[in-house]
Formats: sequence, structure tokens, C-alpha cells
Amino acid sequence: MAITEAPAAPAADKRNPLTAGGTRITLTIGGIAVVGLALVYLLGDREPALITQYLVSGLLLGGVYALVSLGLTLIFGVLGIVNFAQGAMLTLSMYLVYVLQSSLGLNLYVAVVLTIPLLFGFGWLVQSMLLNRLTEDASHDRPLLVTLGLSLLIVNVLLMIFGGRPKSVDAPVSGSIEILGALADTQRIIAFGGAVLVAAALTLVLRKTSMGLAIRAVAANGTGASLVGVNVRRVYAMTFGLGAASVAVAGGLITPFTTLVPTAGEQFTTLAFVIVVLGGLGSIPGALVGGVFIGVLQTVGSLYLPGSGSLILVFGIFVLILFLRPQGLFGAKQ
Amino acid sequence: MKRKALSAAVLAASLVGLSACSSDSAGSGSDSVETVTIGSVHPLSGSLAGVGGLMNDGAKMAVEDINAAGGIESLGGAQLELLDGDSQGEAQVGQSEAQRLISDGAVALVGTYQSDVTQNVASVAERSDVPFVIDVAVDDKILEQGYKNTFRIQPDASSMGQAGAQALVAMGEETGEPIDSAAYIHIEGAFGDSVFAAFKEEAEKQGITITKEITYSGSNFSDATTQVSEALAGNPDIIAVTGYYPDNLLVAKAVGSMANDTKAVFGIASGAFDDTSFPAAAGDAGTEVLSANYHYSATSDRAADIRARFEEKYGKPMETASMLSYQAVEVIAEGLEESGSDDPEELRDAIAGLSLEDPLLAFDGPIEFGEDGQNENATVIVMQVLDGKVEQVFPQEFATAELVFPTGSGN
Repeated sequence: MAITEAPAAPAADKRNPLTAGGTRITLTIGGIAVVGLALVYLLGDREPALITQYLVSGLLLGGVYALVSLGLTLIFGVLGIVNFAQGAMLTLSMYLVYVLQSSLGLNLYVAVVLTIPLLFGFGWLVQSMLLNRLTEDASHDRPLLVTLGLSLLIVNVLLMIFGGRPKSVDAPVSGSIEILGALADTQRIIAFGGAVLVAAALTLVLRKTSMGLAIRAVAANGTGASLVGVNVRRVYAMTFGLGAASVAVAGGLITPFTTLVPTAGEQFTTLAFVIVVLGGLGSIPGALVGGVFIGVLQTVGSLYLPGSGSLILVFGIFVLILFLRPQGLFGAKQ
Repeated sequence: MKRKALSAAVLAASLVGLSACSSDSAGSGSDSVETVTIGSVHPLSGSLAGVGGLMNDGAKMAVEDINAAGGIESLGGAQLELLDGDSQGEAQVGQSEAQRLISDGAVALVGTYQSDVTQNVASVAERSDVPFVIDVAVDDKILEQGYKNTFRIQPDASSMGQAGAQALVAMGEETGEPIDSAAYIHIEGAFGDSVFAAFKEEAEKQGITITKEITYSGSNFSDATTQVSEALAGNPDIIAVTGYYPDNLLVAKAVGSMANDTKAVFGIASGAFDDTSFPAAAGDAGTEVLSANYHYSATSDRAADIRARFEEKYGKPMETASMLSYQAVEVIAEGLEESGSDDPEELRDAIAGLSLEDPLLAFDGPIEFGEDGQNENATVIVMQVLDGKVEQVFPQEFATAELVFPTGSGN
């Protein structure tokens, strides 16, 4: 691969992985995707209408994946924590939406907005009460084990309170609209829009606010940031809170088309890790593009490979990219 | 915690009681025992904890009902006691739990909901010479091992696929809407594959063309749109579906969102379509969906009474799986009654020979086990979602509402 870094960039110019855009990479992936899809349409030996349907479904599924991955990548980028509780926090936010709706009779999307501060607070508490004690000693596995424990705790508490019977919520919108002859589910379109919004909001917060500046400073060099007076622990708590808040949006928006059981979030955890590593650890555009890429790959792949075949394709491409570009598509070179 | 301590105390007391009994009655030949212990292995934690808990409650309620009615008469009114085992949904854990329950004094086992766990528990039952009554586990392979201690009340996977095809043909004839073609969407693995294979064989024999077989992975399935559009592409008369709750719900919703000419969505051994929470969860997409499955008998007064008391006691509707656990305990109790002994081997022989009338499931005839331990009278019936409720619609003798066919799934 002939990917060369920009010639002799001065150290101060080193791009922060949290916001790095990577125009050339976007173009490359876009090119590969367009060529791949053209081949599928022309030589794929399938009805074009069916391929369009798969493409649209894949894009929308990718939106869901991206939504779930955004919080994960933020937490990793700043804190270096592999958050195994991501799936459980997703489920937690789904149940919060359910409770808000069933007890207060709220509109689903109003309930989603309300869960955002709740999950932010939850994330803040987890980081400041629990993880801050561990993040500073250089070991990576202790926080990892704590989040694993946290995930088991959340799932089992949900099980205790709500039981394992599937629950459902009412959505104010339903049905689907037609895009180029393919059907797109309205609730999934809203989720896709949510993913783009969350990515934009996170990028704005990181680029334009003083909190974002502090977060970027801590992500680039924690010790340095603390030397110039940044309260690192506070930034950590803030970041985990932000990560949890984006999970709240994810959980809320996918609730209407997911069966609500205490383990509902877990099926997303593995793929979210794949997406985050693929897109570049800590990269927000990477999570967005990676999510959509995996969604389309999995769905269009299932045209030709039945059952878990398309997942094998996903993991195959994942391993290939790790070989060719270990820092992920949008990751800054270490 | 409290309950655990209590059951440990009861267990200790009963062990003391048992040993006292056996030393007293040694050689006398009289079989007066105070308690008989049954072990129950279900997934009480993990992703299947919901249904596992319901099943354990069903078994518990059967024990309480039998005790309240005077216990096992032929054992001098012996009381039953249920020991819980948590399989956590894992085959290995289920196996060690079964071993623990047997060493704690269980003379019979019920369980376990999952085929792989059941397989392991059955092998423990075989080695320990303790009878094991399966409440739910569908895989054909379990009873193909030639086990003599394992019994199954519900139909197995292949007979469900076969009976599903027969029911479909019969329904088509009755309504004057013959079925010529079917697309089949099913989960990967032993469960989906075996139901599909049996359906296919029988359906093709009856002149139904399988336009397409579409499989999906159970572990990562959050959108069924593509599978359903692929199924609809061949323009089949019906879409047949086999899988678990979340995935089947996705399939129903996807069909509901697409314009199509199918006559019906037809579940075979579907985990969702006849669940009481399905109509609300699926909304419009669930309307008139059909499901061929084993089911508690909605026309039986006895079953209705048990369900009403269960819901009052546990605050949850009693699903078919839970009813099967209740039934499995009844089978063991009947075996104890007939053998007049709490010796596991005599109990086993009694269960193998029994004929239990008035089953709680919608079956033709009593529960009777064949050579291989399979209930010979187990069948499936067809359910349909009508007016937001799951009704039994076919065959006529079990019907609680009139069959609507073709259904409005495409409109």
C-alpha cells in the first residue's frame, strides 16, 4: 500500500484522532465502495431492485451500528478504556425510554431526549466514583475488568426489575418510504439521522467548546494537560458522560425496532468494537464511516453468502484492514 | 437468599427423615416416605432467564398443587419438593447442576428449554439411572441416542416441520385456497435446519414448491428487511418462518412493511408468533399471522384454571413452555403414584408405561411414551393473531376462533 504521510509535518501539527477528517481516505473508501457496488449491479447476477433494497437496508443498519459505536470510540480515544459495558448501557437506556413512556405516557422521542441527561449523569458517576481510581495506574486490564463487571451488573439488575419477558414501546411514527424503488423503514431513517446528528454534535463539542479543548488536550497528553491546570479527572468523567449520552441516543432510537430484553444490547457490542477499530480508535468520523461500511458490507454480502456467511466477510475485511492499515481507516499514525 | 437457606434446611431435614425412614423400614418392605425430591434445571440467569424463570415457576406450582391435593397417595401422601438448578443457558453448567441435584437427592429431573443443555442433562440422567422428563427441547438428536431414562412430552423438530406442512395443506383445502409455493426463512443451526428439512420433504410430497430457503445467523440479526425482500422476490403463496422471539418479530414487522401478494406468514415452531406478548409488540404487522406449534390447550378448563392461578400468583401470563414444565412434574407425580416407590428405576419404568389422560397441551389423546421416550400423541396445532390476541384456529376440535385465510399480511 502506498499510503504515505504528509511530508515532515511539524509535531505541533499532529492531528488529534478525535476529530481527524482524512479526506483522502474518505475518497479512497468511497471509490472502492462505488466500484464494488457497480460490480455487484453489473455482474452480480441479481435483480437490480433487490440489490437496491439490500443497499438501502445496509445503509440504515450501518446508521444503527454507527450510533452504537460513537460513544465507544470517544471513551476509548480519551480514556483508553475498552468499555465492555457499552452494550449493557445501551440496554439500560432502552429500558429508561420504556419506563418513561409506560409510566409518564411520553412520546418516544421526547423520552429519548430525557434519557440523554440521565445517561450522562450515569456515565459521569461511573467514571468519577469507579473508574477514576483505576485509570491513572497505567494498567489497561483493570478498568476493562471493571466495565465487564459493570455490564453483568446492569444486565442482571434489569433482569431482576423487569424480568426477561420481551417488552415493547410505541413509536409515534411507523411505516416506510420508498427510495429508488426500495423500502426504507421510517424509524430506521430517524435512527440514521440521529447517528449523523450525534457525530456532528460530538465533533462540534470537541472543536468549538472549551470542554472539547480540554478533552482533546487530555487525549493528546494527559500529563501535559494536568501540568497546565486541566482537571484531568473531571475531563475523564465528562468524557465518559458524553460517551454514555451518545449511547442514550442510540438506545432510544433503536428501541422501536428492537425486542426489549435485558440482553438486547449485547449483539451490538462485538460489531461496535470491530467498527471502532476499523474506523480508527478514537475517531468520530471513523465510527460513522466504519458503521455504515460494515452495515452495507454485511447486508449486501448476505445476497451471496447465506446465514453467518456475511459476518465472516465482515471479519475477513476487518483482518485485512488491520494488516494493511493497523491504525484503522481514520486513525492518526502513532 | 432466604429461600435458599430454607430449601437447604428442608433438604437437610428431609435427608435426616429419609435416613431415619430407611433404617426404620429396612426389610419391612413398606414404602412410606415423607418427601420426594424432583430436580428442575432451567436457564434462571442469562439471556433466557425470562422464559427459564417462568418454567421454573410452572414446575413449582405443579408441586404445590399436588402437595395441596394430598401428595402422592400410594406413598402414604408423600409431599413433593422441587430443587432448583440454574443452567445459565450453558450446556456444561446444566450438566453439573443436574449432577448436583441428583447427589442432593433428586429422584427425577425436569428441564431444560435448550436442546444442547438438554442433551447433556439427558446423558447425566442416563449415567445416574434417574428419569428425566424434558419439558421443552426440540432437537431430534436427543432421543436418537437410545437413552432409556429420558422422556419428551412435546413433538420433536422434524415432526413439527412435517405436521406444519400437513396443516398448511389441510388449511388450504378447507378454505379453498390451495398453497402451491412457499419461501422459508429460518435460523441457522440444528433447530432451524431440522424443522426446515422435515417441512420441505413433506411439502414437496404434497406438491408445494419451495421457492427459496433463506437462513440467518441468530447471534447478529437486527434487521430482516433484506431476508424478507429476498423471500418475496419469488412471489410465493406463503412465507414460512422458524426461529426465536426477537428474530421472528423482525420478520413479521418486515413483511408488514412491504406490499406483497402472499397469502400468509406462517410460523412453524416459531418462538414469537404464539407468545402472548407478540400481538402488542408487532402491532399491525402481527395481524392474522399464523403459527403451527405445540400449545397449551386453550379449550381445556383445567389448563385455563391453572393459567388463571399462575397469572394471579406470579403476575405474568403462563406461556406454553411454563405449562409444559407443569405437565412434566405431573408426569413424574403420576409415575410415582403408579410405581408406589421413590426408587428412580421403578419410577422410570412407571413413566415409560403410563398413559396420562387430560393433558394440558392441545394433543390428540393421552400422553404415552414410545420406545424412544417420545410422546406418541404429540402434535402441533395452528394459532392465529386475531383482534390483538393469539387464538387457536386449526384443527377444528381445538379452535377458539375462526381461521382467517388468506390473511391480510400483504395489505
